[in-house]
Amino acid sequence: MSPTRRLLDGLGLIWTLAEKDLRIELRSRQAFYTTLFFSFLILMVFNFAFDAANQDMRKAAPGILPGILWVALIFPGVIQLNRSFQSEREDGTLLGILLSPMDRGLIFLGKFLANWIFLVAVNLVTLAIFMAVYNFPLTSSTPWMLLLILLASLGFSAVGTLFGAMVSSIRTREVLLPILLFPIVIPVILAAVNGSTEVLLAENFRFLFQWIKILVAFDVIFLAASYLVFEYVVEES
Amino acid sequence: MWSKNLDADLQANRRYTAWAVRLLAPAFLLGALALYATFLYAPTEKVMGDVQRIFYFHVGSAWNAFVAFFVVFLASIAYLRTRRVKWDQLAVASTEVGVVFTTITLVTGSIWAKPIWYTWWPWGDPRVTTTLVLWLMYVSYLILRSSLPEGDQKYKFCAVLGIIGFINVPIVWMSIRWWRTHHPVVVTTSGMNLETKMVHTLMISVFAFAALYAVLLCLRTSMRLQERLTREMEVEVLAK
Repeated sequence: MSPTRRLLDGLGLIWTLAEKDLRIELRSRQAFYTTLFFSFLILMVFNFAFDAANQDMRKAAPGILPGILWVALIFPGVIQLNRSFQSEREDGTLLGILLSPMDRGLIFLGKFLANWIFLVAVNLVTLAIFMAVYNFPLTSSTPWMLLLILLASLGFSAVGTLFGAMVSSIRTREVLLPILLFPIVIPVILAAVNGSTEVLLAENFRFLFQWIKILVAFDVIFLAASYLVFEYVVEES
Repeated sequence: MWSKNLDADLQANRRYTAWAVRLLAPAFLLGALALYATFLYAPTEKVMGDVQRIFYFHVGSAWNAFVAFFVVFLASIAYLRTRRVKWDQLAVASTEVGVVFTTITLVTGSIWAKPIWYTWWPWGDPRVTTTLVLWLMYVSYLILRSSLPEGDQKYKFCAVLGIIGFINVPIVWMSIRWWRTHHPVVVTTSGMNLETKMVHTLMISVFAFAALYAVLLCLRTSMRLQERLTREMEVEVLAK
Protein backbone atom coordinates (compact mmCIF):
# COMPACT_ATOMS: atom_id res chain seq x y z
CA MET A 1 0.00 0.00 0.00
CA SER A 2 1.27 3.44 -0.81
CA PRO A 3 1.90 5.84 2.08
CA THR A 4 -0.82 8.22 0.91
CA ARG A 5 -3.32 5.39 0.77
CA ARG A 6 -2.40 4.29 4.27
CA LEU A 7 -2.71 7.82 5.57
CA LEU A 8 -6.15 8.17 4.00
CA ASP A 9 -7.20 4.82 5.44
CA GLY A 10 -5.98 5.91 8.88
CA LEU A 11 -7.89 9.17 8.65
CA GLY A 12 -10.96 7.26 7.55
CA LEU A 13 -10.74 4.97 10.58
CA ILE A 14 -10.27 7.93 12.92
CA TRP A 15 -13.28 9.67 11.46
CA THR A 16 -15.42 6.52 11.58
CA LEU A 17 -14.77 6.21 15.29
CA ALA A 18 -15.26 9.91 15.99
CA GLU A 19 -18.41 10.02 13.90
CA LYS A 20 -19.89 7.11 15.88
CA ASP A 21 -19.43 9.02 19.13
CA LEU A 22 -20.77 12.24 17.69
CA ARG A 23 -23.78 10.46 16.21
CA ILE A 24 -24.64 8.88 19.56
CA GLU A 25 -24.35 12.30 21.14
CA LEU A 26 -26.42 13.98 18.42
CA ARG A 27 -29.21 11.48 18.97
CA SER A 28 -29.25 11.52 22.76
CA ARG A 29 -27.89 15.03 23.37
CA GLN A 30 -27.48 13.99 26.95
CA ALA A 31 -23.93 15.08 27.64
CA PHE A 32 -24.23 18.23 25.55
CA TYR A 33 -27.02 19.75 27.60
CA THR A 34 -25.57 18.58 30.91
CA THR A 35 -22.16 20.03 30.10
CA LEU A 36 -23.60 23.24 28.73
CA PHE A 37 -25.83 23.67 31.74
CA PHE A 38 -22.86 23.15 34.02
CA SER A 39 -20.92 25.82 32.11
CA PHE A 40 -23.87 28.19 32.36
CA LEU A 41 -24.17 27.46 36.07
CA ILE A 42 -20.50 28.34 36.61
CA LEU A 43 -20.96 31.64 34.77
CA MET A 44 -23.89 32.46 37.04
CA VAL A 45 -22.51 31.21 40.36
CA PHE A 46 -19.23 33.03 39.85
CA ASN A 47 -21.08 36.21 39.13
CA PHE A 48 -22.76 35.93 42.52
CA ALA A 49 -19.43 35.08 44.12
CA PHE A 50 -17.45 37.98 42.63
CA ASP A 51 -20.16 40.40 41.50
CA ALA A 52 -18.20 40.26 38.26
CA ALA A 53 -20.72 42.05 36.03
CA ASN A 54 -20.58 45.15 38.23
CA GLN A 55 -18.85 47.98 36.37
CA ASP A 56 -16.64 49.00 39.32
CA MET A 57 -15.59 45.42 39.78
CA ARG A 58 -14.71 45.09 36.12
CA LYS A 59 -12.53 48.18 36.32
CA ALA A 60 -10.86 47.12 39.54
CA ALA A 61 -10.13 43.55 38.48
CA PRO A 62 -10.15 43.28 34.70
CA GLY A 63 -8.73 39.78 34.75
CA ILE A 64 -11.65 38.33 36.65
CA LEU A 65 -14.05 37.84 33.73
CA PRO A 66 -11.65 35.92 31.47
CA GLY A 67 -10.87 33.79 34.51
CA ILE A 68 -14.54 32.99 35.07
CA LEU A 69 -14.98 32.26 31.38
CA TRP A 70 -12.19 29.70 31.37
CA VAL A 71 -13.36 27.96 34.50
CA ALA A 72 -16.72 27.65 32.75
CA LEU A 73 -15.05 26.37 29.57
CA ILE A 74 -12.64 23.89 31.12
CA PHE A 75 -14.24 22.37 34.22
CA PRO A 76 -17.46 21.00 32.70
CA GLY A 77 -15.41 19.23 30.02
CA VAL A 78 -14.57 16.63 32.63
CA ILE A 79 -18.15 15.31 32.37
CA GLN A 80 -17.68 14.44 28.72
CA LEU A 81 -14.16 13.06 29.16
CA ASN A 82 -15.41 10.78 31.92
CA ARG A 83 -18.29 9.55 29.81
CA SER A 84 -16.22 9.00 26.70
CA PHE A 85 -14.76 5.65 27.76
CA GLN A 86 -17.20 4.90 30.53
CA SER A 87 -20.04 4.30 28.08
CA GLU A 88 -17.75 2.13 25.94
CA ARG A 89 -16.91 -0.01 28.94
CA GLU A 90 -20.49 -0.30 30.17
CA ASP A 91 -21.79 -1.42 26.80
CA GLY A 92 -18.83 -3.72 26.28
CA THR A 93 -18.03 -1.93 23.02
CA LEU A 94 -14.49 -1.08 24.06
CA LEU A 95 -13.50 -4.70 23.66
CA GLY A 96 -14.96 -4.71 20.16
CA ILE A 97 -13.02 -1.61 19.20
CA LEU A 98 -9.82 -3.00 20.68
CA LEU A 99 -10.32 -6.26 18.80
CA SER A 100 -10.71 -4.50 15.47
CA PRO A 101 -7.54 -4.64 13.38
CA MET A 102 -6.49 -1.04 13.76
CA ASP A 103 -3.61 0.70 15.42
CA ARG A 104 -4.30 1.64 19.05
CA GLY A 105 -3.04 5.14 18.38
CA LEU A 106 -5.77 5.59 15.78
CA ILE A 107 -8.39 4.57 18.36
CA PHE A 108 -7.02 7.29 20.60
CA LEU A 109 -7.17 9.86 17.81
CA GLY A 110 -10.76 8.89 17.02
CA LYS A 111 -11.94 9.24 20.60
CA PHE A 112 -9.91 12.41 20.99
CA LEU A 113 -11.41 13.94 17.84
CA ALA A 114 -14.95 13.28 19.06
CA ASN A 115 -14.19 14.80 22.46
CA TRP A 116 -12.51 17.80 20.90
CA ILE A 117 -15.39 18.54 18.51
CA PHE A 118 -17.84 18.09 21.39
CA LEU A 119 -15.93 20.44 23.68
CA VAL A 120 -15.50 23.09 20.98
CA ALA A 121 -19.26 22.97 20.32
CA VAL A 122 -20.11 23.39 24.01
CA ASN A 123 -17.45 26.06 24.42
CA LEU A 124 -18.73 28.13 21.52
CA VAL A 125 -22.23 28.25 23.00
CA THR A 126 -20.77 29.08 26.42
CA LEU A 127 -18.69 31.86 24.88
CA ALA A 128 -21.78 33.31 23.23
CA ILE A 129 -23.69 33.23 26.54
CA PHE A 130 -20.70 34.74 28.34
CA MET A 131 -20.38 37.60 25.88
CA ALA A 132 -24.10 38.27 26.08
CA VAL A 133 -24.53 38.22 29.86
CA TYR A 134 -21.34 40.16 30.56
CA ASN A 135 -21.85 42.67 27.77
CA PHE A 136 -18.89 42.06 25.52
CA PRO A 137 -19.62 43.37 22.04
CA LEU A 138 -18.60 41.39 18.98
CA THR A 139 -15.49 43.03 17.64
CA SER A 140 -12.85 42.31 15.08
CA SER A 141 -10.80 40.59 17.78
CA THR A 142 -13.50 38.04 18.61
CA PRO A 143 -12.09 35.47 16.12
CA TRP A 144 -8.99 35.31 18.30
CA MET A 145 -11.23 33.96 21.06
CA LEU A 146 -12.28 31.17 18.72
CA LEU A 147 -8.66 30.35 18.05
CA LEU A 148 -7.90 30.26 21.77
CA ILE A 149 -10.87 27.96 22.35
CA LEU A 150 -9.79 25.63 19.55
CA LEU A 151 -6.22 25.39 20.83
CA ALA A 152 -7.01 25.17 24.54
CA SER A 153 -9.67 22.50 24.13
CA LEU A 154 -7.34 20.53 21.86
CA GLY A 155 -4.68 20.10 24.53
CA PHE A 156 -7.28 19.60 27.22
CA SER A 157 -9.09 16.85 25.32
CA ALA A 158 -5.84 15.16 24.28
CA VAL A 159 -4.70 14.61 27.87
CA GLY A 160 -8.31 14.24 28.98
CA THR A 161 -9.02 11.42 26.54
CA LEU A 162 -5.91 9.57 27.68
CA PHE A 163 -6.76 9.98 31.36
CA GLY A 164 -10.44 9.30 30.70
CA ALA A 165 -9.50 5.94 29.23
CA MET A 166 -7.26 5.32 32.20
CA VAL A 167 -9.76 6.05 34.96
CA SER A 168 -12.72 4.41 33.22
CA SER A 169 -11.79 1.08 34.81
CA ILE A 170 -11.40 2.54 38.30
CA ARG A 171 -14.24 2.70 40.78
CA THR A 172 -13.52 6.27 41.93
CA ARG A 173 -13.18 7.63 38.38
CA GLU A 174 -15.47 10.66 38.81
CA VAL A 175 -13.21 12.08 41.50
CA LEU A 176 -9.99 10.82 40.02
CA LEU A 177 -10.20 12.38 36.56
CA PRO A 178 -10.18 16.03 37.68
CA ILE A 179 -7.50 15.23 40.26
CA LEU A 180 -5.22 13.86 37.55
CA LEU A 181 -6.16 16.29 34.84
CA PHE A 182 -6.14 19.73 36.44
CA PRO A 183 -2.50 19.81 37.61
CA ILE A 184 -1.39 18.85 34.11
CA VAL A 185 -3.49 21.45 32.29
CA ILE A 186 -2.38 24.40 34.42
CA PRO A 187 -0.28 25.78 31.50
CA VAL A 188 -3.36 25.62 29.26
CA ILE A 189 -5.45 27.53 31.78
CA LEU A 190 -2.71 30.14 32.27
CA ALA A 191 -2.22 30.64 28.54
CA ALA A 192 -5.93 30.69 27.73
CA VAL A 193 -6.87 33.10 30.52
CA ASN A 194 -4.03 35.51 29.84
CA GLY A 195 -4.54 35.34 26.09
CA SER A 196 -8.26 36.08 26.41
CA THR A 197 -7.64 38.92 28.82
CA GLU A 198 -5.80 40.68 26.02
CA VAL A 199 -8.41 39.80 23.42
CA LEU A 200 -11.48 40.67 25.50
CA LEU A 201 -10.13 43.89 26.93
CA ALA A 202 -8.97 44.85 23.43
CA GLU A 203 -5.52 45.69 24.63
CA ASN A 204 -2.64 45.76 22.27
CA PHE A 205 -1.88 42.15 21.52
CA ARG A 206 1.60 42.28 22.95
CA PHE A 207 1.75 38.84 24.49
CA LEU A 208 -1.10 37.07 22.75
CA PHE A 209 1.24 35.25 20.41
CA GLN A 210 3.41 34.10 23.24
CA TRP A 211 0.37 32.50 24.85
CA ILE A 212 -0.68 30.99 21.56
CA LYS A 213 2.81 29.54 21.28
CA ILE A 214 2.45 27.93 24.72
CA LEU A 215 -0.90 26.45 23.71
CA VAL A 216 0.47 25.11 20.43
CA ALA A 217 3.48 23.60 22.22
CA PHE A 218 1.23 21.95 24.80
CA ASP A 219 -1.10 20.64 22.08
CA VAL A 220 1.64 19.18 19.91
CA ILE A 221 3.57 17.60 22.79
CA PHE A 222 0.60 16.07 24.54
CA LEU A 223 -1.19 14.93 21.42
CA ALA A 224 1.98 13.07 20.42
CA ALA A 225 2.68 11.75 23.92
CA SER A 226 -0.90 10.57 24.48
CA TYR A 227 -0.95 8.95 21.05
CA LEU A 228 2.21 7.05 21.93
CA VAL A 229 1.28 5.83 25.41
CA PHE A 230 -2.42 5.18 24.75
CA GLU A 231 -1.90 1.51 23.94
CA TYR A 232 -0.57 0.86 27.43
CA VAL A 233 -3.68 2.37 28.93
CA VAL A 234 -6.25 0.25 27.10
CA GLU A 235 -4.53 -3.08 26.64
CA GLU A 236 -5.95 -5.86 28.76
CA SER A 237 -3.30 -7.48 30.88
CA MET B 1 7.81 -18.53 35.26
CA TRP B 2 6.53 -17.24 38.57
CA SER B 3 9.53 -18.55 40.48
CA LYS B 4 11.96 -17.07 37.99
CA ASN B 5 10.47 -13.62 38.54
CA LEU B 6 10.45 -14.25 42.24
CA ASP B 7 14.13 -15.07 42.13
CA ALA B 8 14.99 -11.93 40.23
CA ASP B 9 12.92 -9.85 42.63
CA LEU B 10 14.67 -11.45 45.55
CA GLN B 11 18.04 -10.52 44.12
CA ALA B 12 16.92 -6.98 43.30
CA ASN B 13 15.69 -6.66 46.85
CA ARG B 14 19.05 -7.80 48.22
CA ARG B 15 20.84 -5.28 46.02
CA TYR B 16 18.65 -2.40 47.13
CA THR B 17 18.98 -3.30 50.78
CA ALA B 18 22.74 -3.61 50.43
CA TRP B 19 22.96 -0.20 48.80
CA ALA B 20 20.81 1.38 51.49
CA VAL B 21 23.15 -0.02 54.15
CA ARG B 22 26.25 1.02 52.24
CA LEU B 23 25.02 4.58 51.72
CA LEU B 24 23.76 5.08 55.25
CA ALA B 25 27.11 6.08 56.74
CA PRO B 26 28.06 8.53 53.94
CA ALA B 27 24.59 10.05 54.12
CA PHE B 28 24.86 10.50 57.86
CA LEU B 29 28.33 12.05 57.60
CA LEU B 30 27.31 14.39 54.79
CA GLY B 31 24.23 15.37 56.76
CA ALA B 32 26.30 16.21 59.82
CA LEU B 33 28.77 18.10 57.66
CA ALA B 34 25.95 20.01 55.99
CA LEU B 35 24.56 21.01 59.38
CA TYR B 36 28.00 22.17 60.51
CA ALA B 37 28.61 24.08 57.29
CA THR B 38 25.19 25.68 57.31
CA PHE B 39 25.29 26.94 60.86
CA LEU B 40 28.97 27.45 61.61
CA TYR B 41 31.09 27.47 58.47
CA ALA B 42 28.99 29.64 56.15
CA PRO B 43 29.19 33.37 56.87
CA THR B 44 26.08 35.31 57.82
CA GLU B 45 24.54 37.02 54.84
CA LYS B 46 24.75 40.82 55.17
CA VAL B 47 21.25 41.86 54.18
CA MET B 48 19.10 38.92 55.17
CA GLY B 49 20.98 37.78 58.24
CA ASP B 50 20.77 34.32 59.73
CA VAL B 51 17.51 33.43 58.04
CA GLN B 52 19.40 33.14 54.76
CA ARG B 53 20.95 29.91 56.08
CA ILE B 54 17.70 28.17 55.21
CA PHE B 55 18.78 28.64 51.61
CA TYR B 56 21.19 25.69 51.72
CA PHE B 57 18.58 23.14 52.75
CA HIS B 58 15.98 24.79 50.56
CA VAL B 59 18.07 24.47 47.40
CA GLY B 60 19.47 21.09 48.39
CA SER B 61 16.02 19.55 48.64
CA ALA B 62 14.74 21.38 45.55
CA TRP B 63 17.48 20.17 43.21
CA ASN B 64 17.19 16.61 44.43
CA ALA B 65 13.42 16.70 44.08
CA PHE B 66 13.94 17.45 40.39
CA VAL B 67 16.40 14.57 40.18
CA ALA B 68 13.81 12.34 41.87
CA PHE B 69 11.14 13.21 39.31
CA PHE B 70 13.59 12.63 36.50
CA VAL B 71 14.23 9.16 37.94
CA VAL B 72 10.45 8.60 38.00
CA PHE B 73 10.36 9.51 34.32
CA LEU B 74 13.19 7.12 33.39
CA ALA B 75 11.88 4.27 35.55
CA SER B 76 8.38 4.73 34.07
CA ILE B 77 9.72 4.38 30.54
CA ALA B 78 11.74 1.36 31.64
CA TYR B 79 8.61 -0.23 33.12
CA LEU B 80 6.54 0.24 29.98
CA ARG B 81 9.31 -1.23 27.85
CA THR B 82 10.28 -4.19 30.03
CA ARG B 83 7.25 -4.77 32.29
CA ARG B 84 9.58 -5.60 35.14
CA VAL B 85 7.90 -4.68 38.40
CA LYS B 86 11.14 -3.50 39.95
CA TRP B 87 11.06 -0.44 37.67
CA ASP B 88 7.62 0.44 38.92
CA GLN B 89 8.72 0.08 42.52
CA LEU B 90 11.67 2.33 41.81
CA ALA B 91 9.37 4.89 40.18
CA VAL B 92 6.93 5.02 43.08
CA ALA B 93 9.72 5.13 45.67
CA SER B 94 11.28 8.04 43.80
CA THR B 95 7.91 9.79 43.60
CA GLU B 96 7.43 9.48 47.33
CA VAL B 97 10.86 10.86 48.17
CA GLY B 98 10.39 13.54 45.50
CA VAL B 99 7.10 14.64 47.03
CA VAL B 100 8.66 14.79 50.50
CA PHE B 101 11.57 16.85 49.12
CA THR B 102 9.24 19.23 47.27
CA THR B 103 7.25 19.63 50.46
CA ILE B 104 10.47 20.49 52.31
CA THR B 105 11.33 22.96 49.54
CA LEU B 106 7.94 24.65 49.71
CA VAL B 107 7.86 24.81 53.51
CA THR B 108 11.43 26.09 53.90
CA GLY B 109 10.83 28.54 51.04
CA SER B 110 7.74 29.78 52.81
CA ILE B 111 9.59 30.26 56.10
CA TRP B 112 12.35 32.09 54.26
CA ALA B 113 9.95 34.26 52.28
CA LYS B 114 8.09 35.57 55.32
CA PRO B 115 10.87 37.76 56.79
CA ILE B 116 12.47 38.61 53.42
CA TRP B 117 9.51 39.21 51.10
CA TYR B 118 6.93 39.80 53.87
CA THR B 119 4.71 37.01 52.61
CA TRP B 120 4.37 33.32 53.30
CA TRP B 121 3.66 32.57 49.70
CA PRO B 122 5.50 34.53 47.01
CA TRP B 123 3.28 33.90 43.98
CA GLY B 124 5.50 36.32 42.12
CA ASP B 125 8.38 33.89 41.95
CA PRO B 126 8.10 31.48 39.01
CA ARG B 127 10.26 28.88 40.73
CA VAL B 128 7.93 28.68 43.71
CA THR B 129 4.87 28.34 41.52
CA THR B 130 6.48 25.73 39.28
CA THR B 131 7.50 23.72 42.34
CA LEU B 132 3.93 23.96 43.57
CA VAL B 133 2.60 22.60 40.28
CA LEU B 134 5.15 19.78 40.45
CA TRP B 135 3.96 18.97 43.94
CA LEU B 136 0.34 18.92 42.75
CA MET B 137 1.17 16.61 39.84
CA TYR B 138 3.06 14.07 41.87
CA VAL B 139 0.59 14.09 44.74
CA SER B 140 -2.05 13.22 42.14
CA TYR B 141 0.26 10.37 41.07
CA LEU B 142 0.19 9.03 44.62
CA ILE B 143 -3.58 9.43 44.79
CA LEU B 144 -3.98 7.50 41.54
CA ARG B 145 -1.76 4.84 42.99
CA SER B 146 -3.78 4.50 46.15
CA SER B 147 -7.01 4.01 44.23
CA LEU B 148 -5.89 1.04 42.14
CA PRO B 149 -5.52 -2.62 43.08
CA GLU B 150 -2.05 -4.17 42.78
CA GLY B 151 -1.18 -5.42 39.34
CA ASP B 152 0.14 -4.62 35.91
CA GLN B 153 -2.66 -2.12 35.25
CA LYS B 154 -1.73 -0.02 38.27
CA TYR B 155 1.94 0.02 37.30
CA LYS B 156 1.12 0.92 33.71
CA PHE B 157 -1.19 3.79 34.63
CA CYS B 158 1.33 5.20 37.08
CA ALA B 159 4.10 4.90 34.48
CA VAL B 160 1.96 6.81 31.99
CA LEU B 161 1.36 9.55 34.54
CA GLY B 162 5.05 9.60 35.48
CA ILE B 163 5.94 10.25 31.84
CA ILE B 164 3.18 12.77 31.10
CA GLY B 165 3.92 14.68 34.31
CA PHE B 166 7.60 15.04 33.61
CA ILE B 167 7.31 16.24 30.03
CA ASN B 168 4.92 18.86 31.33
CA VAL B 169 7.59 20.47 33.52
CA PRO B 170 9.22 22.71 30.85
CA ILE B 171 5.82 23.89 29.61
CA VAL B 172 4.70 24.70 33.15
CA TRP B 173 7.94 26.57 33.74
CA MET B 174 7.67 28.64 30.55
CA SER B 175 4.01 29.50 31.03
CA ILE B 176 4.45 30.51 34.66
CA ARG B 177 7.50 32.59 33.86
CA TRP B 178 5.63 34.49 31.16
CA TRP B 179 2.60 34.82 33.35
CA ARG B 180 4.65 36.48 36.10
CA THR B 181 6.74 38.71 33.86
CA HIS B 182 3.58 40.20 32.42
CA HIS B 183 2.19 41.24 35.75
CA PRO B 184 3.73 43.87 37.93
CA VAL B 185 6.38 41.92 39.75
CA VAL B 186 6.17 42.76 43.42
CA VAL B 187 8.93 40.53 44.58
CA THR B 188 12.08 39.81 42.70
CA THR B 189 14.74 37.27 43.36
CA SER B 190 17.73 39.46 42.91
CA GLY B 191 20.80 37.37 42.34
CA MET B 192 22.53 36.68 45.59
CA ASN B 193 26.25 37.08 45.36
CA LEU B 194 27.48 33.90 46.93
CA GLU B 195 30.77 33.92 48.74
CA THR B 196 33.12 30.99 48.26
CA LYS B 197 32.23 29.58 51.66
CA MET B 198 28.57 29.84 50.81
CA VAL B 199 29.13 27.95 47.57
CA HIS B 200 30.96 25.21 49.53
CA THR B 201 28.09 24.97 51.98
CA LEU B 202 25.57 24.80 49.17
CA MET B 203 27.50 22.02 47.46
CA ILE B 204 27.80 20.00 50.67
CA SER B 205 24.12 20.45 51.35
CA VAL B 206 23.15 19.38 47.82
CA PHE B 207 25.28 16.24 48.16
CA ALA B 208 23.86 15.55 51.61
CA PHE B 209 20.35 15.67 50.21
CA ALA B 210 21.44 13.53 47.26
CA ALA B 211 22.78 10.90 49.65
CA LEU B 212 19.61 11.08 51.72
CA TYR B 213 17.58 10.68 48.54
CA ALA B 214 19.60 7.61 47.54
CA VAL B 215 19.20 5.96 50.93
CA LEU B 216 15.47 6.62 51.10
CA LEU B 217 15.03 5.49 47.52
CA CYS B 218 16.79 2.18 48.14
CA LEU B 219 14.92 1.62 51.39
CA ARG B 220 11.49 2.34 49.95
CA THR B 221 12.16 0.26 46.85
CA SER B 222 13.38 -2.73 48.84
CA MET B 223 10.45 -2.37 51.21
CA ARG B 224 8.01 -2.57 48.31
CA LEU B 225 9.85 -5.51 46.80
CA GLN B 226 9.67 -7.31 50.13
CA GLU B 227 5.95 -6.67 50.40
CA ARG B 228 5.51 -8.12 46.97
CA LEU B 229 7.73 -11.10 47.66
CA THR B 230 5.81 -11.89 50.82
CA ARG B 231 2.54 -11.81 48.93
CA GLU B 232 3.83 -14.00 46.14
CA MET B 233 5.40 -16.48 48.51
CA GLU B 234 2.07 -16.75 50.32
CA VAL B 235 0.38 -17.48 47.02
CA GLU B 236 2.95 -20.13 46.16
CA VAL B 237 2.71 -21.77 49.56
CA LEU B 238 -1.08 -21.78 49.39
CA ALA B 239 -0.96 -23.27 45.91
CA LYS B 240 1.10 -26.16 47.22
